[in-house]
Amino acid sequence: MSESPRNFKPSSYVVIDEKQCNGCVLCMKACPTKAIRVKDGRLASIEGVCIDCGECARTCTKGAIKEIALKKDDLTPSPNLVISPSTVIYSQFGEDCLPNDILLGLKRMGFAYVHDQSYTSEMVNFALELYIKENRKKPNAPFPLISPACPVVVRLISYRFPSLLKHIPPLATPREIVARESRKRLSEKNGCSPEEIGILHITPCAALADFAKESASQGKYPGIDKAVGINSIHEILKKNIQEIDVDTVLHHSSGIGIGWGMSGGEIAGLKRNCLAVSGLHEVIRYLEKIEMGLLHEVDYIECRVCPEGCLGGPFTVADKHQAKYLLQKLVRMFGVEKRIKYNYVKKLYNNGWFLTERDRTVSIDVPSPLSIPDRIERLNKVQETLRLLPGKECGVCGSPDCQTLAEDVVDGKATLDDCIFFHNQRKKMGAQRG
Amino acid sequence: MSLLKRSFEIKARDFIRAGEAAIEVQKILKNIGFDPEQIRRASICAYESEMNVVMHGGDGELVLTLDTEKIMLDINDQGSGIEDVDLALQEGYSTASQEDREMGFGAGMGLPNIKKNADFLEILSDKGAGAHLKIGINLRKE
Repeated sequence: MSESPRNFKPSSYVVIDEKQCNGCVLCMKACPTKAIRVKDGRLASIEGVCIDCGECARTCTKGAIKEIALKKDDLTPSPNLVISPSTVIYSQFGEDCLPNDILLGLKRMGFAYVHDQSYTSEMVNFALELYIKENRKKPNAPFPLISPACPVVVRLISYRFPSLLKHIPPLATPREIVARESRKRLSEKNGCSPEEIGILHITPCAALADFAKESASQGKYPGIDKAVGINSIHEILKKNIQEIDVDTVLHHSSGIGIGWGMSGGEIAGLKRNCLAVSGLHEVIRYLEKIEMGLLHEVDYIECRVCPEGCLGGPFTVADKHQAKYLLQKLVRMFGVEKRIKYNYVKKLYNNGWFLTERDRTVSIDVPSPLSIPDRIERLNKVQETLRLLPGKECGVCGSPDCQTLAEDVVDGKATLDDCIFFHNQRKKMGAQRG
Repeated sequence: MSLLKRSFEIKARDFIRAGEAAIEVQKILKNIGFDPEQIRRASICAYESEMNVVMHGGDGELVLTLDTEKIMLDINDQGSGIEDVDLALQEGYSTASQEDREMGFGAGMGLPNIKKNADFLEILSDKGAGAHLKIGINLRKE
């Protein structure tokens, strides 16, 4: 299912508190798609495409842009509801709190089915290894492959690097496989259809808040239904963890699965030539390189828009560096050999269990109504306009930089007088003449 | 008739800024909104030829020209030139220095890669007199 660009604005997960906005330019300058404009001293409009990266909310120092806090009423237990926490949750409760304690804590909250994602991550990891091996044998297969896990990276590629879409392997992410597994298991057990099973994901990721984008067209087993932020259940879960009397084993993975969500965590389990890149601007820098045909010798690149990977997600509670320290400790404790049944996973892989039918092409590539010569003409006009601007890149005009102001002027959305330098210069010259 | 012309300076041995001209070319093409595959091919050609100038070329210039038919890249440099063009077009053949190789360049894939991605390639060069590459990418799909 493709979506129109309009679905992205305003972003599905940020809320803007106009009273707090003092019209500074931080969010506008941070936006990677140059979508934000500030006019009349206020954040005014979202002009282009929002990819839900969260940079604006991360950068805002005035508290004017916030992630939407997800609702807790989704947390009512039901026999057909599966809770699937992101592995990041294992880093959020301090020392002496092992993955099993956290899963039991969720169970204690009343949820009958808690599905540990770390074990599934190890299976997906091995499937990925098989996929890489298979594709290295094909002469024209695109390399490096780019991880499908970060939803913002996938949207960024759709929007700014569409030629790289074929570098994203058609494999489902661990969170999708968790949904698939639990739908299958629980529907068989409860004697209902897979669609009747509800999957609630507990996530550090704000871009996953809107699952309509993610779970469309998943074939027989739809993806996740709902997501809540780790931050919205942290307090109540913490209380439940404290009262735990360990009786059941719910966690089965090694350190590889536990550490999957930190930067470098996904590739840690891959015995291939891999790279991990995190942080929006670093990711863009690498995508530019890949688009120029570089890094072909690398098998797989784990790209994450949040700094330090999913540990830096907006819905986390713990500081990302402390969280990383904790995860690394757990990785040492649980070891780095995947604890999976390799032959069984291989069989699943050969049966296509790990494939996704999802079309990742988020069609946000707005087809320009202008013909190519007209678009070139526009670019030339932009270039001429740009020569009249001072190149200070200050953003005071309300557009993120001089280049974008020039574009806005040519498109009739702004005037040259919006530039304070241009305006003063003209006034001065007018005064001299007059 | 050319609809757009932009030139970018390339500095020899400046590995810090190397690749910037290619990124600018990529940005312009994206801004206009060409087909992603054509942009990819043009970017690869721009990058590889820019790196050639940085490594072997002395200072040079990359000129991007657009008309309704094709994307043209002209790369001129004042370097040592290419002694044997046929040899240079072979994969793996390189005259890059040890230093270049240690930085991860000079694998001998530059010109072969350009040839693979361009619809049109002309190399004008004499030993000692610099090199001039003319690269074309057709906008119409055959």
